[in-house]
Amino acid sequence: MIAHVAAAGEQRGRVVLRLTHDTPHPIALQAAMCVAQAFQSEIESLFVEDLALFELASFPFAREISFSGRRSSALSAESIAADMRHVAAAFQRTISALAQRAEIPLRATVIRDEPVTAVARACAECGPWNVVALAEPISAASPAMLHRLFASVVETTGVVVVGPNAKRTSGPVIAAVEDIAHLEPMLRTAERLMAVTGSESLGTETLLLLLVGARDDDTMEMEGQARLVLGDKPLATITRVNVPQGAAIDLAERMRRLHGGFILARFGGLLVPREGSLDHLVQTLECPLFLMR
Amino acid sequence: MIFKRNQPDKPARLDAMVATSQADKPVPLPVADLRRMVDPAGLGFTTTADLEPISGLIGQDRALKAIQFGTNFKAHDFNLFVLGPAASGKRTAVKQYLDKKAMDAPAPADWVYVNNFDNPNRPRALKLPSGRARPFAKAMVAAIDELRLTLPAMFEGDEYQARRRSIDEEFRAGQETAFEALNKRALEQNIAVLRTPTGFAMAPMHEGKVVKPEVFNTLPETMRKEVEARIESLQKELEQILETLPKSDKRRRSRTTELNAEIASHAVTAALDDVAEAFTGEKAVLEFLEQAGQDLVRNAGLFLAPSGEESEVVKQPADTARDVRFRRYMVNVMVGNGEASSGAPIHEETNPNFGNVIGRIEHIAQMGALVTDFLLIKPGALHMANGGYLLVDARKLLLSPFAWEALKRTLKGREIRIEQPSEMAGLMSTQTLDPEPIPLEVKVVLFGDRELYYLLSQHDPDFAGLFKVQADFDDTIARSAENDRSYARLIASITREHKLKPADAGAVARIIDEGARLADDREKLSIEIGRIADLVREADYWASEAKHDVIKREDVARAIDEQIRRSDRLRDRAQEMIDREIVLLDVSGAKVGQINGLSVLQLGNFAFGKPSRITARVRMGSGRVTDIEREVELGGPLHSKGVMILWSYLASMFAQEVPLAMGATLVFEQSYGGVDGDSASSTELYALLSALSDVPIRQGFAVTGSVNQLGQVQAIGGANHKIEGFFDACRARGLTGEQGVLIPKSNVQHLMLREDIIDAVKAGTFAVHAVETIDQGIEILTGVKAGDRGPEGRFPAGTINRLVEDKLRIFAERARAFGGKGGFSGNDRDVS
Repeated sequence: MIAHVAAAGEQRGRVVLRLTHDTPHPIALQAAMCVAQAFQSEIESLFVEDLALFELASFPFAREISFSGRRSSALSAESIAADMRHVAAAFQRTISALAQRAEIPLRATVIRDEPVTAVARACAECGPWNVVALAEPISAASPAMLHRLFASVVETTGVVVVGPNAKRTSGPVIAAVEDIAHLEPMLRTAERLMAVTGSESLGTETLLLLLVGARDDDTMEMEGQARLVLGDKPLATITRVNVPQGAAIDLAERMRRLHGGFILARFGGLLVPREGSLDHLVQTLECPLFLMR
Repeated sequence: MIFKRNQPDKPARLDAMVATSQADKPVPLPVADLRRMVDPAGLGFTTTADLEPISGLIGQDRALKAIQFGTNFKAHDFNLFVLGPAASGKRTAVKQYLDKKAMDAPAPADWVYVNNFDNPNRPRALKLPSGRARPFAKAMVAAIDELRLTLPAMFEGDEYQARRRSIDEEFRAGQETAFEALNKRALEQNIAVLRTPTGFAMAPMHEGKVVKPEVFNTLPETMRKEVEARIESLQKELEQILETLPKSDKRRRSRTTELNAEIASHAVTAALDDVAEAFTGEKAVLEFLEQAGQDLVRNAGLFLAPSGEESEVVKQPADTARDVRFRRYMVNVMVGNGEASSGAPIHEETNPNFGNVIGRIEHIAQMGALVTDFLLIKPGALHMANGGYLLVDARKLLLSPFAWEALKRTLKGREIRIEQPSEMAGLMSTQTLDPEPIPLEVKVVLFGDRELYYLLSQHDPDFAGLFKVQADFDDTIARSAENDRSYARLIASITREHKLKPADAGAVARIIDEGARLADDREKLSIEIGRIADLVREADYWASEAKHDVIKREDVARAIDEQIRRSDRLRDRAQEMIDREIVLLDVSGAKVGQINGLSVLQLGNFAFGKPSRITARVRMGSGRVTDIEREVELGGPLHSKGVMILWSYLASMFAQEVPLAMGATLVFEQSYGGVDGDSASSTELYALLSALSDVPIRQGFAVTGSVNQLGQVQAIGGANHKIEGFFDACRARGLTGEQGVLIPKSNVQHLMLREDIIDAVKAGTFAVHAVETIDQGIEILTGVKAGDRGPEGRFPAGTINRLVEDKLRIFAERARAFGGKGGFSGNDRDVS
């Protein structure tokens, strides 16, 4: 769906919005809506009841300690199921209202499974043009989960995530291009997103193209290619950023200062490495991050 | 003496009264007494263009001195009530005087309302030097504008972000360290820490996955117990960690707040320093700035990007003054003079309702509720006039609910306290604003008519205490050559003010004549400026129609005629009724007990006289008169009084030796409306005398005038209209030369009759007679001498009085014969 803009007669793809019992971030929900609007696709709101919790509940000694630490009670499958039901209903109601306001078709599903597996199954059912949106903000411990997600969910073109400090979805779309192969799909995706993030109406700098490379030669080559692809699009600004390997912190900080409405980046690149800490990115991320495969 | 009795329904012939004593031929008033005309040549100018316009008013010295005193006297309770007729120019006069006076006075202070950061329900009133309120308001907007730029930049800046991250990291690391340590220990013991919808739980783990229950149950019991014990121990540790989180979070928030305050205070101080510098010396402003600064630092978050409001349909406005987030820092200018303005304010409130006078607290609908704040306090007329003069129409003020009471309360309290009317009446208990009162120093000038002034004086005890100066505008000035010239200059002023053609001397003379007619007194001139101005303007119109370069006498005459023509439909209708004999009125011949009375109908500005027949019938009775008008409740108290006086005259004149054993009825024929006033009392007395004496009254006469107990005829109002009304009736039937009107002699000075009547009098076809006594009047009306008592106490034979006395003596004798001791008991009712 992202890299491939659907032609007439083709399936238009879906945004699979994964929810767990963790509170969804409002900007994450907003981001899912934006993507669905941009690509005129539907949303599948997938609430995953974590199977592990039900298995835990069948232990006779299983106890639950409240968030405040002041209450401890026996854990039962029934109580977890009831809690899950209530949480799912509340989340789905919120999402339904948002989708209705944005006139986006919505399908709501509740599934009891392992969270990553559940997404993989859902995407497999209606592949291949899926985008996965995670409702809960990512944390420092998320690289492993993201890695598993990209590895397990093959029928997806990308994952949309937000950090705990997310503030907005309006502003210029920032595409962090680290290789020529991703340039064109990223540009197409960015153009779609610009229409719904309000960046088009800003008039200037609606698309910020950050050509990221370890060496000057790499970014210069990419700039040439980018200018060919962009043609006479006047609202794009191209910036070359030369960062050494492992300088993700600098890149993340630079992104924050651009006050983007959406960031497009490749999973496994300089900004979001497959391994290592995402700590700094998590803290500085103020808008949704569209991680492309 | 025996005389032939006339049939009342047949016209009597005067020549039949052979037994009566003929009166001398009456002498009518000379033409010179009927109208005072201005000689244009004597005015001393050709057109009003030659004249210096008059400034101010003429003939209002008393009122002007009162205004001068009232405005100069510095006391809160010496407010003015300017009373006088409408269109007398009183408002213009007051304004002209105040304009000059206010110009030299110092400009009053400006007043603003600002937020009270300690108690938002009680906005603070700040006093500033004149012309400084608006700059203060602008300075605050500029300061907030600046903060809208600088604060986000500072909070986005590297310094803040780095320090903020440092704090967050410090605490997060602390928490995570504890959690990680716990997790690590749990992992080492093959225990998983899981998050549930409402908390945390722990489960046995094997190779990174939660052990399934069926697998766990296959373990030996001792091992299972050991796992349970480990989980229990870890749960306790987890509980301890979780319990420390709120305290830790509180410390983090505290540190963050301190950092925010430190960063914000730099920007806030820089922004507000400019304002403080511009208002150095204004203690109240500096205090406000200090409080605002503290609040800005506390609420610096308002200036940062509208987080969490991404989905709002309505974005925040770019205009700071309209941005709801910053309302509390704005300044509500209640009174803001221009920087270059000088002089005391003169504010005229044309719609003096409660809110417009005192000020109001407006509300805006927000999510179905009405909300307000200090910026919605709107100034009233008192705010505008504070330090100067407030001009208000008293009638409008009194007709506006709550406004009069609120004005009095404010003047008494000497401070403007804005309340909702419902709150003032104790009808509302919901929380609203209670703005600090603003000290008041104002001179209120009320305009109204005399009736209103005296009503308020009588019925409102506060009124006399607060409006101690009355400026009483007269409606006329004395006629003199000097005042005639002043009048001409007044007309010159009117022509220039309204850009009209100049009026020539003939036109001015005609306007002065009309001024005397409006005054209803030839020795006076009306100074109802509005009516005079209207006449001049209309004359200008007719002059244009006639293609005259200047307003001429005939243009003024045309304007007057047209004014009358537009208004006299009812007069024509009344005349038509007389012409068609629907309303019975004789203007020739003679009849016993029947006379023509005169009344005036006032329709707006137009008045006209209307003749009507009055009849009297007498009979033997118990000495009482029946006033039919009063019996049917159509007669007013003054009319009844007149009837009682004439009855008293009769009794004292003729019933000194014999009882007044008669009954009489008096009626205004074909009168279906109310009758009041005593101007017909002499007329009714003549009718009674005619009825008692059986001597007919000449129907060519109409009579007006009141009578006293001594038989003296007294002045009445509307003499000109009454004469003109009867003249019109006679002219419609044909003037015979025997027709005329009897008026009291004291009314001669009021005569300003129409020119067509003057012409008729000159031609000898109409006459106006002035009488001082009833005896003079009855002689003119009957042609018979009234008669004076001789030395033996009897009236001479053949006189009216003798005939009356004889008739009454006959009634008395008949009554004694009929009722024994003169105690005749009839059905007559007392007039009292």
